[in-house]
Amino acid sequence: MAGSSNIGEETDNPVAINATAMVDVIFCLVLFFMCSFHFRELEGKIETWLPKEGGVITGTVEKKLLEDICIVIDWDERTNSASRRLGNRPPAKSDGELITLVLEMSADHEKLGKKDFPVVLDVARKVPWREVVHVMDLCKKEKLERIEFAAPAAKPLVGAR
Amino acid sequence: MGRRGTPRMEENVSPNLIPMIDIMFLMLLFFMLGADMGQRDIEDVALPLAMNVKEDKKAEGKTKDRLTVNILHQLHSETDCVARLNGSACLNEKHWRIAVRGQDLTDPEKLNELLKEEADLRRGTGPDQKSSDRRVMVRADGGAPYGLVQDVMTACAQVGIYQVECGAARPVPDKPVPH
Repeated sequence: MAGSSNIGEETDNPVAINATAMVDVIFCLVLFFMCSFHFRELEGKIETWLPKEGGVITGTVEKKLLEDICIVIDWDERTNSASRRLGNRPPAKSDGELITLVLEMSADHEKLGKKDFPVVLDVARKVPWREVVHVMDLCKKEKLERIEFAAPAAKPLVGAR
Repeated sequence: MGRRGTPRMEENVSPNLIPMIDIMFLMLLFFMLGADMGQRDIEDVALPLAMNVKEDKKAEGKTKDRLTVNILHQLHSETDCVARLNGSACLNEKHWRIAVRGQDLTDPEKLNELLKEEADLRRGTGPDQKSSDRRVMVRADGGAPYGLVQDVMTACAQVGIYQVECGAARPVPDKPVPH
């Protein structure tokens, strides 16, 4: 019947191409690419800055009327969880409590006319990085853009602030 | 007299392969174009999730003005890490490695050396000689201990690199952030 010939039917068309081998190869290729394929995750970045001068402060230190907004993140090995507190205050029980305290302090800074005040993260070495990023994310959500990291206590020459 | 019956018709039951081949070709083309075979700076790292991240259009890791430092866990066969196997955070710093362009730079001296070379590429002149405009992206696994990130940042600060970006992934809307 005219127009109904299929690939591989040698009876209808003596010069037909045998497509079976090609289909096999394409199957193998498709299988390979399907197995090796992974969708790219949407990646982003959180910008932070380190000191241009390596963190060493020379000369007189500015007298501070208000304490720095310093979020301390510790790791409790017994409970395998991070505890977060603002300065010397008791640990915050939730994200909301922590960020409320931070916003209260930032409001105090703004009352004194300070706009470019940093939020310092003082993190213990053992804290998983995701906990730190989570706190950074909370700060970014509240438009607290200037995030700094406290210098490691054991290495006084380097100040990551 | 012979039997009379309906004439036998030979039915052609061979499948038509053309639409299948068309579809296979399309799938092949899609996967071939989607697969990334290029040399990349970025390692396979489970980035921490964050909602308020700036979209990083240079996340392919092929930028010339930025160095990507990856912090990733070593293979299970190399460490036999029980914590990782249980799905909890591995806080043993010896189980983690710092890699740049596929090169293992866990040794602080090697890391400092490379960062110094990179910082010198875009070092300022005059009074701004101490600082470098070279940017560093830290792509650390969400379970990596902060100490390793701190080491990288400390090394950056020592060589005058002050622009550090922290890699994070924006969560898929349906999936809640694990907190």
